[in-house]
Amino acid sequence: MVSSFDQTMKFKRVAEEEKYQAKDVFSVVYGALKEKGYNPLNQIVGYLLSGDPAYITSHQNARVLIRKLERDELLEELVASYLRELEKQS
Amino acid sequence: MPRLLVRGRRQPLSGTVKISGAKNAAVAIIPAALLAAAPVRIENLPDINDIRILVEIIAELGVQVAWETPSTLLIDASTLRKVRAPYELVKKMRASYYLIGALVGRFGRAEVPIPGGCDLGPRPIDQHIKGLAGMGAKIEVEHGLVKVEGKRLQGANIYLDIVSVGATINIMLAAVRTKGKTVIENAAKEPEIVDVANFLNAMGAHVRGAGTDVIKVTGVDELFSATHCVIPDRIEAGTYMIAAAASGGNVLLSDVIPKHLEPVTAKLREMGMTVDVFDDQIRVIGNYEPQAVNIKTFPYPGFPTDLQSLAMVLLTQAKGSSVISENVFEGRFKHVDELKRMGACVKVEGRTAIVTGCRRLSGAPVSATDLRAGASFIIAGLIAQGETVISEIEHIYRGYEKICEKLNALGAELEEID
Repeated sequence: MVSSFDQTMKFKRVAEEEKYQAKDVFSVVYGALKEKGYNPLNQIVGYLLSGDPAYITSHQNARVLIRKLERDELLEELVASYLRELEKQS
Repeated sequence: MPRLLVRGRRQPLSGTVKISGAKNAAVAIIPAALLAAAPVRIENLPDINDIRILVEIIAELGVQVAWETPSTLLIDASTLRKVRAPYELVKKMRASYYLIGALVGRFGRAEVPIPGGCDLGPRPIDQHIKGLAGMGAKIEVEHGLVKVEGKRLQGANIYLDIVSVGATINIMLAAVRTKGKTVIENAAKEPEIVDVANFLNAMGAHVRGAGTDVIKVTGVDELFSATHCVIPDRIEAGTYMIAAAASGGNVLLSDVIPKHLEPVTAKLREMGMTVDVFDDQIRVIGNYEPQAVNIKTFPYPGFPTDLQSLAMVLLTQAKGSSVISENVFEGRFKHVDELKRMGACVKVEGRTAIVTGCRRLSGAPVSATDLRAGASFIIAGLIAQGETVISEIEHIYRGYEKICEKLNALGAELEEID
């Protein structure tokens, strides 16, 4: 058996993992979907509902990027942003 | 017809393999393109026989097709006039039934011969018919043809009695240009369904909920030009993962969606294999002494029935006995008799197979009873002592792009012989 420790591996520091912000992720994913001719709203809602990364294009690494955050974190950011807007209007 | 010679026990598989576009998505996306009277571009299509046959079928129907690259197809269905698919081509592949939904969706009529494909036991298309009938179509099956008349289809609520990928997609296709809202309940959730929905939506359709068990389709009048890239083939990826594991090798799979492979990853780890998951890559490092595990096939996200025969080969090498329960197709143990001829110890009772592990396999002449069984014999041949000769390999070429080249690049010794 070949041990996985024989492989050259890249280790990511925790800090590096934590640097992804929902807003940045949405921005890249939105741009990538739009560039490829998909409706970003349909596709992002589909992903949030089903959890299937197939909804997100691989263009601009968007499919990988959206998986960097949990769906509940993405959803929380969306609802928070919407509520902030509501508060501003009231 | 040529046969495939597999020289066994040469060396563990090692290297990188790029995964092709998903066959089961592509065979539905190409018919879906017929719904638009406008040109579309489909990228990342696998170079396999099922796709070539399907392209031939739609060209025969009057659609203009052109390969822009070996994996990118341009389809212009504005010239489509015929609604009757040719028997000689349709009988070669099961997925030709998607032409029913596409033609009914576009013209309100379809005449498609009852499809061929792998013999996996009874796979009736009654759920497809139930869905179309629920939308108001009149369906007759006569002289080997499914004739559908559906000029006045209306959106409807359709509850599928069993979870069926084919029926879910076919109803989606028929509903896209049908007036009103169609709701498919107990829909299948396979990633290939999501990919078809993505393509339909890119053309201007209104499909919501794909990937969940309730899909809602609101009819639109027209569809437009679009470009779509097919998702990676999770079954091809699973095949190379199991091949790497069985050979005690070390293989990196690139261009995969790891989320789609979670059931396979989990089982391989349970067997003691090392599976490292990266962003869009997976590395599998085999273990010559795998643990016995029990496997139950289920619709996605369960363990895929398409990988059951391949997993069985791996389990012949495990320490102890494993139980495989086939919960999707009735007749999916036809590979067992051939594996027994190679020395496997497998006892089948109904939908359950008991695999006694630690068996040394030996090369033998075997016949590929279906597409995935054929792939499982290749893996069995790789780990067997001596040479295995597989006949009826046309089944394998239906669904695996360049399988000999890909495996040989990893160190296998496969050769096509007359």
